Amino acid sequence: MGAPVSAPPAQRGDSVRRLARSARTTPGRLGVVATALVLLSVLTGNVGALTMQGRLNTISGLVEHREPLSAAAQQIYRSLSDADATASSAFLSGGSEPPQLRERYEIDMGQAGAALAKAASDVGGIAAAEDQVDTLSKQVPVYAGLVETARTNNRLGLPIGSAYLREASTLMRTKLLPAAQELYAIDTQRLTDEQDDASGVPWFALIVMVVLLAALIATQVYLTRKTNRLLNVGLLTASIAIALGLIWGAVAGVVSASAISDAREHGNQQVDALVQARIVALKCRADETLTLVARGDGAGYEQEFQKLAPTLPGLLSKAGVSDKDAQAWLEAHKKIRELDTGGQFDQAVALAIGPDQNGATAAFNRLDQDLSQAIQQGREKFVDSTSTAYNAQEALFPGIALLAVLAAGGSFLGIRQRLREYR
Amino acid sequence: MRRVALLLAALGLLTACGAPDKPVDLAVVTAVDRPAPDGYTPAQKPTAGSQAPNCGDPTVSLRPGGLAVTGTMAKIKERGRLIAGVDQNTFLFGFRNPETNNLEGFDIDMAKQVAKAIFGDENKVQFRVIASRDREDVLTKGEVDIVVRTYTINCDRLQKIAFSSVYYSTGQRVLVDKSSQVKGIEELAGKKVCATAGSTSLTQIANNPAKPVAMSVVNWSDCLVLLQQGQVAAVSTDEPILAGMAAQDPNVKIVGPKLTDEPYGIGIPKANTDMVRFVNAVLDKIRGDGTWQRSYDQWVGSRTGESASPPSPKYRD
Repeated sequence: MGAPVSAPPAQRGDSVRRLARSARTTPGRLGVVATALVLLSVLTGNVGALTMQGRLNTISGLVEHREPLSAAAQQIYRSLSDADATASSAFLSGGSEPPQLRERYEIDMGQAGAALAKAASDVGGIAAAEDQVDTLSKQVPVYAGLVETARTNNRLGLPIGSAYLREASTLMRTKLLPAAQELYAIDTQRLTDEQDDASGVPWFALIVMVVLLAALIATQVYLTRKTNRLLNVGLLTASIAIALGLIWGAVAGVVSASAISDAREHGNQQVDALVQARIVALKCRADETLTLVARGDGAGYEQEFQKLAPTLPGLLSKAGVSDKDAQAWLEAHKKIRELDTGGQFDQAVALAIGPDQNGATAAFNRLDQDLSQAIQQGREKFVDSTSTAYNAQEALFPGIALLAVLAAGGSFLGIRQRLREYR
Repeated sequence: MRRVALLLAALGLLTACGAPDKPVDLAVVTAVDRPAPDGYTPAQKPTAGSQAPNCGDPTVSLRPGGLAVTGTMAKIKERGRLIAGVDQNTFLFGFRNPETNNLEGFDIDMAKQVAKAIFGDENKVQFRVIASRDREDVLTKGEVDIVVRTYTINCDRLQKIAFSSVYYSTGQRVLVDKSSQVKGIEELAGKKVCATAGSTSLTQIANNPAKPVAMSVVNWSDCLVLLQQGQVAAVSTDEPILAGMAAQDPNVKIVGPKLTDEPYGIGIPKANTDMVRFVNAVLDKIRGDGTWQRSYDQWVGSRTGESASPPSPKYRD
C-alpha cells in the first residue's frame, strides 16, 4: 500500500504489513492459497447453483408459459377463422339459421375469448405482442356485434343483413386474423429463443469450475515440490469433487440439450408445421364460403383459394398428416365451382355447406379434426421431452452446491494438514 | 455504528427503488377503430379531360326486331340458360331475400322476362352478381349476356357497350337521418356522402359545387350500414335505391329535389345488335301487357306510394 504512514490508523497498517510479511514465507503463502481456494469453491458453488436454478426455471417456463401461449395464439386464429366461416355458412343456408351452425359459432367465439385471455396473461413486455393482443381485445367484441346485427336483419328479412355480415368478415380478414397470426408468430419465436437459452453451454459457470480445478491441481503440484509428499487427501478429494461436478454437468447438459432438441423437432416444430397447414385450410374454407356468398362478385376469394389450396397436401405431408381428407375436400370444391359456374347455385351451396358426407363441410371437418388431434399429440410430445430435459438436470442444482462445499472443506483441511507440519 | 447506519441507508435506498411511484396503468381506451365495409375509401377525384363525349340523346335505342329466337338468342338457347349480371345488395331492384335465398326485385323481374322470351321459362336464367364498377367489364369480356342493374344510360358507357330502350326513369336524390336538418346536397359541404364506386351518383357528388366529401363503397347496402353507424352524413343516389334503404330503416328520410335524370337501360355487348332489338321487343311487350306495371307496383309503388307508368321508348333504325 502506498498510503502515507501517518494517515491510516495504526491497526490497519499493521495487519497489512503482517500479511505482506507472512506471504513471503511458505506457511504464510499456504494460508493465502487456502483462503483463495475456499473462496473460489464457495463462488463456484454459488455460480453453479444459480446457473442451474436459472436453467431449471427456463425449462419449466417452456412448459408452463411459452408453449401454452403459442398454443393459445393458434387457438385464437383457429376459432376466429372458423367462426367467420360458420357465420357465412349460416347466412348461405337462408331462412332461420340451422341450430348446429349457431352453436358452432357460439363455441368458436367463446373459445377465442378464453384463448385470448390466456394469451393476454403474459405478453412479457414485448410491444409487438401487446399490440396484437390489444387489437384482438378491442375488435373481437366489435366483430361479434356486427354479426349479431347481421343476424337480426336477416331474421327481419332485410337485405342489409348481408352488408353487416360483409363488414364483419372484412374486419375479421383485415384486422383480427392478421393480428392472431402475428401473435402466434411472436409467441412461437419466443418459445424457440428460450429453447436455445435452455440448451446453450453455461460458459461462466463452466469457466469458474475449470479455474477452480486448475487452481487445485496447481496447489498440489506446488505442495509436492515444497514438501516432497506425493498425495494430499484433502486437496485430492476437492479436485475429484470438482472434476465429478464437471463430468456430471457435462453429461446432464448433453442429455438435457438432446431432450430439448427432441422436444423442438417432434414437439413444437411439428406443431408449427401442423398449424401452418391448419391456417391454410381455414383460409381456403373461408374463401370457399365467401365465394358463394358473393355469388359471382367474389373472384378474389376463389383466386386466393386456387393459390393456397395446391400448397395444402405438401404442408400436410410435411406435418405427417394424411392428405386423404384434403383431397376429398378439394374434389368437392371442384364440383362446387363447376355447379356454381354452370348456373346451379343452389346445388353448389348444398354441396358446400350441406350435411352430405362427400360434401365440403364433412371433408373439411374431418381434416380439421385430424389436425387438431395431431397438434395435441405434438404438444404432449413437447411436454414429455422437455420434462426429460428438466429431470436430467434437476439433481444438479443441490448437487453442484454440495460438491463445492466438499471442495472448500477438502482445500481447507488439506492445507491445514501441511501447515501443521511447519509448527 | 457507522456500518450499521450505512447498511440501513442502503436498505432504505433499495426499498425506495422497488416501490411504484404511480398507480398501475389501467390501459384506458379512448378510441376504438370503427369497422368499415371492404373497399370504403374517399372517391378518387374525377380525372380532368375525361369529359363524356356528346352522342346526342343516349336513350335512343335500336328499333325492336321481333321475338324470333335467332342469332345470339339461339346460341343462348343452346347453352340452356341466360346469364344476367345483376345486384344482390340493392333492396327493391336486385337483392337476396334472406328468407328464401333467392334473388328478387324489379331488375331481377326484367331479366326473368328476357329469359321467358327466349326459353318460355323465366327460371332459365343464371344470375351473376356484379359490382357497379364491373358492369362494363363483364359485358365487353362477354362474361354475361345482359346486365340489369340500375344501369344509367349515358354517352360515356355507350362507347363500350349497347343499351336497350329505357325501362325505368328516375333521378338522384339525398338520404339522411330523420333527425337531420339537411334539406339537400347543397347543405352537405365538407360532410361525407356515400355512393358506390363506378356509379354516376358518385361522380355527381364529387362534382357538386357544394363540395361534399364523396366516399365510395362497393355495394349500395354498404352506404346504409355506414349511415346507420354514423360514419357518413348522407347517401346520395337514384331515388328508388334510396327508397329501398328507407324501406329497411324507418329512421331515415329522402330529401331534396331530383338532381339528375337517370334513365335505366339493360346493358348488352356492343356487337350483339340483334339482342338489343330482341330485348327492346321484350320491353315493348311487357310495357303493353301490364307485366311492367305489376312489377313496378310490387317493388316500388307499394313502398313509395308513387304511381308511375312505363317510360316511352325512343328508337332509331
